[in-house]
Amino acid sequence: MDIEKKLSFLKERLTYICDIFAGNHQEHIRILEHKVEEFSQRRESLDLQERIEAITAIEELFDFTERRLEEDLSSMDKVRIVRHPQRICLRDILENVYDNYTEIGGQKNKSIDPSMLIARAYVTRRHRGKTHHQSVMVIGQEKGHGEDFRNGGSVKPWGNARALQYMKVAETENIPIHTYIFTPGAYPVEDYPGAAQQIARNLYEMAALKVPVIAVFSEGGSGGAEAIGLADRRLMLSHGYYSVISPEGAAAIEGRLRRGERATPELIARCAEQLKITAQDNLRLGYIDKIVEEPPLGARPYHYEFFRNLRREVIRATDDVVLSTRAFAPLRARAARPDKSGEYDAEKFVVRWEVNGGAAEKLLLLRHEKFNKYSRGKCIDPRSVFKRMRQGVSGVVTDAYNTVKHDILGKPKKRIVSAVEEVEAETRVLFDGITGPFRKALCALGSKSSKAPAATEEALTALSDWEDGQRNGSWNYISPRAKEDRAVTCPNAKKQGCMDMWAPDLYGEFAGVCSNCGHHFPMEYKWFLWNVFDPNSVVEFNQEIEAGNPLEFENFDQRLIQAKEKTGLKSGCMTVDAAIQGTKLVAAILIADFRGGSVGVAEGEKFLLAVERAQKKRQPFLAYVHGTAGIRIQEGTNGVIQMPRCTMAVRRYLDAGGLYLVVYDTNSYAGPVASFLGCSPYQFAIRSSNVGFAGPGVIKETTGIDVPPNYQGAFKALSRGHIQGVWDRRELRENLNQALMTMGGRNLYYR
Amino acid sequence: MQNSSHKVLVANRGEIAIRIVQACRMLGLDFVCVYTAEDEQSGHVRLAKETGGEKSLYRVSSYHDANEILAVADAAQATAIHPGYGFFAEDFRFARRVTQRERGLIFIGPSWRVIRELGDKINTKRLARSLGVPTVPGSDKPIYDEMEAEEVARSLFEFQKQCGTEQPTVLIKASAGGGGMGIEEVYDIDLFRSVYRRIRNYALRQFKDEGVLIEQRIRDFNHLEVQIVSDRSGQNPVHFGTRNCSIQSTGLQKRVEVAPGFDPSSLPYSFDAAQVLTDITEHSLALAREVRYDNVGTWEWIVARNGRPFLMEVNTRIQVENGVSAAIARIRGKRGVNLIAEQIRIGLGEPLGYTQEDITFEGLGIEYRIIAEDPTNRFTPSSGRIERFSWKEEPWLSMHTHVPTDAAYDIPTEFDPNLALGIVWGENLSQAQERGMDFLDHLTLDGVDSAGAPLKTNVGFLREKTARILQF
Repeated sequence: MDIEKKLSFLKERLTYICDIFAGNHQEHIRILEHKVEEFSQRRESLDLQERIEAITAIEELFDFTERRLEEDLSSMDKVRIVRHPQRICLRDILENVYDNYTEIGGQKNKSIDPSMLIARAYVTRRHRGKTHHQSVMVIGQEKGHGEDFRNGGSVKPWGNARALQYMKVAETENIPIHTYIFTPGAYPVEDYPGAAQQIARNLYEMAALKVPVIAVFSEGGSGGAEAIGLADRRLMLSHGYYSVISPEGAAAIEGRLRRGERATPELIARCAEQLKITAQDNLRLGYIDKIVEEPPLGARPYHYEFFRNLRREVIRATDDVVLSTRAFAPLRARAARPDKSGEYDAEKFVVRWEVNGGAAEKLLLLRHEKFNKYSRGKCIDPRSVFKRMRQGVSGVVTDAYNTVKHDILGKPKKRIVSAVEEVEAETRVLFDGITGPFRKALCALGSKSSKAPAATEEALTALSDWEDGQRNGSWNYISPRAKEDRAVTCPNAKKQGCMDMWAPDLYGEFAGVCSNCGHHFPMEYKWFLWNVFDPNSVVEFNQEIEAGNPLEFENFDQRLIQAKEKTGLKSGCMTVDAAIQGTKLVAAILIADFRGGSVGVAEGEKFLLAVERAQKKRQPFLAYVHGTAGIRIQEGTNGVIQMPRCTMAVRRYLDAGGLYLVVYDTNSYAGPVASFLGCSPYQFAIRSSNVGFAGPGVIKETTGIDVPPNYQGAFKALSRGHIQGVWDRRELRENLNQALMTMGGRNLYYR
Repeated sequence: MQNSSHKVLVANRGEIAIRIVQACRMLGLDFVCVYTAEDEQSGHVRLAKETGGEKSLYRVSSYHDANEILAVADAAQATAIHPGYGFFAEDFRFARRVTQRERGLIFIGPSWRVIRELGDKINTKRLARSLGVPTVPGSDKPIYDEMEAEEVARSLFEFQKQCGTEQPTVLIKASAGGGGMGIEEVYDIDLFRSVYRRIRNYALRQFKDEGVLIEQRIRDFNHLEVQIVSDRSGQNPVHFGTRNCSIQSTGLQKRVEVAPGFDPSSLPYSFDAAQVLTDITEHSLALAREVRYDNVGTWEWIVARNGRPFLMEVNTRIQVENGVSAAIARIRGKRGVNLIAEQIRIGLGEPLGYTQEDITFEGLGIEYRIIAEDPTNRFTPSSGRIERFSWKEEPWLSMHTHVPTDAAYDIPTEFDPNLALGIVWGENLSQAQERGMDFLDHLTLDGVDSAGAPLKTNVGFLREKTARILQF
């Protein structure tokens, strides 16, 4: 009996090995196959002892082969390990790592989103005969070993929303959160509130969660991973991957594939290698804190030693976070630090996991510092040390100056002004009481000659004063396309009967807007720069920060050079000081012409510096998205990490009382929309723009559902509550001014 | 014509297209016409076929499609475009495109800047005010502030009371509107705010601009026009007299036009009519000089019962009723003035060649617009088939029509319903009126409408009004 079980178990093991190598290492696999086959044929003829010996020998051979194959595991093999149905799932972890658990809101497929699993679990520590139960909130994607309804761990927006809800519950209950990331990526549907919008909300809230958050990465697919991945400690399983995009997706982009075409396995493997997606790569890049070792060829549910190890590491990380916030625990804190090698015996002493008051503040401070340091030095930053220091110092000075001006001097000034008004009004009442009768008499005398008809007529027919800024469609910047003598057809011509427009009219006077149906044609970012901001108010800063190729992705250097030559820019993000109708502000512009407006380290860094600048200057911050295709995949996790990193900067700015406006133009998709752009409370879109998580092609490819027309259209985004308004490009300046005057926080210089 | 190498594309249809073709032939210019499927039987197609042959005709899908018109211009190697009236006549973008495209053409009409400047009513009003030209009392800029709006309305009511106006009325219009949309009257200052807010919200919804204009509504007035002609130099505009277009349909469409605008020699007026005519021509010329007007155009005025004129707008095109001004005008004493030919000539760059002193006026002209419509039923246009159409030729009559007299004609429903223009000239008012009645008496216009009943026309209405012309 036992032998039969062992045999079928070995067969499963063999399938697993076979699957993860996808046709490679055939010689080893054939030997194993042969042995298993041979044993299953002759087992009837053997007696029990012989059978046990034979099967043990095969088991040892399996162990040996697995160890042997482990040595030359490629990135793509790891991807296949992670995706294999035999890989450990969150429920295995709940069973084996925690001492008890209750699943919250879901039994099998009866759940709002079965791919997101939430559980209240506890860890029991026994210490000197006393038992301590320590509660944690466990949140993570559940693949259910390939159960269909789990959707492969691809979480829908409402699944992420529920995750966020229970993170807030954990905050209320003051218990740590353990997140386990088993997702190939978020499910790209735009139903309320939209995949991007929900991830952005999660990031925004997690940036200020006042409880320790520990994340464990097994399969970290881009946006889906970030939705629960913003943590104080980020552990990673040694056979996991954490990447900006699936290797297949990267290959499709790299190979410039059309819809329906498939990338070759070689290209996919090459992309997987170059994206630096493994745990070891990510540890080197600094985006995870520690690797949790797995058994050879990856952990499967029967690797109990692995679970014990994982338990130790998770407890240690939680202890570490909690202790780092404590004013007095130097020795324990030192012992728990992840870079300390050696056994950490959680049972040896007890750490209470509540974080209160000052400790919570410190927790947040450390979390923000941690993410702020990420990806430093991964872009080309030719600012000299001296300049950077000067900028740092001037930042401090600006901050101090503004604190004095607005907080210390500004508030009493307001009080004085209102006091003066009061006194003035009072005196007027008094004065009127005395002089009133005289004036009435005077008026009665003079009333006959009050106003001659001639004077009235003069007032009604004379030329009045009037200065109209933008009449006759005269713009400061005219698109070069307005110089071509050709007719342009509106895409709505069939439906709306729009006449063809002459390019000089359309791109000049009409500002790229169809005069019949109002369709907005894409315009250059310069149009925005010169027609929306006050003339002569635009001053660029940090323009020397340059996009680089931190992963040395092949052929990418040339493509960057091309992009730089084509646009005359050094990165896809331009940051400027500017003004709109006299209101000074800081703006970051993501430029679609520079590699699709994708965000890499340089763009993230510039964005972050701009947000910090706005915060120091007490100025509003405007993100104008001329277009963005998402995170720059060639920078791998260096790019992905900009999502939490910039979102946290925005959170700091908003908490300090700023005004963060986002305006989307043309097409804005993926990572940036799902993080630092999407988290703004004031997002607006230009008409005919598209805002969403994934392009229609990607949605069709990953979900198989047919995308309805205009799925990502601005008005759809408005209907589902992602953006707060759809604006006409020609009225952008007026609308922005209105927004600056009426929206935003308490701490703006002009308030 | 010194420069007869030009080829004019006639971007219009019907009566005006015929007259442009005739003028081109008179000037010895080549021409090319366009027509749509509905217009295959129209007079302008026949005339073009007769005089220019098949090569002078291009079929287009719409008279409104600039790309198609310009493609024809290129295919036919035209060097100039005459827009006629309607369609592209006052479209400054079309004029700009015609002149600025790679293969540039001459736009026979004012230059695009002038069209743009005078096409904007607010701008025209402000220009007029800057020159002291009288305009309707009220605001000359869009008002965005409710307090300011009420202030203006209040003083307009007060002003009308002082002037003794019977029913003081204030107009609120969306400054971005036009064509009767977003416009409402207010009779009482207490009702002003509610109407103002309604119009402002309408304007915001409809035009994305909540600015409104607030003006006095002048109720009892005559509609006068001044015909201006100026060459490309823009330096020396002349006028071709005034016209009175006060006889209109219920939809405020002109039905009878008379030149000159008033006749103080034979009719009594409660004001100095001759002085009013002089004033409005002088004002019109002043404005034309200011903007360097460089083609033909019409300055539209209203004259209130007390004789006060107000400039309404400028039509930067040749108008339907140009013929009636030409009928009474003499250049250096000669008859046979053709304003369309003048327009083409100066449009192509020739200097005017005469001054105001060379232009004299003689007699009185009446233009009747003959239309298939039912004046007793709010001038509803009738569609149908004209079976017989004839009139008695007279030396004092000129008839402009695209309707054939020798064959039946189906009235197309797509375009404006003018069938014919009859211009009558007389030495004085009474002779002109007699001749007008004579013309209408001998006019035959029979047919059946689409329901099979006899075709209704406005001839009876025109007869009835002839007795009343030029009376205020």
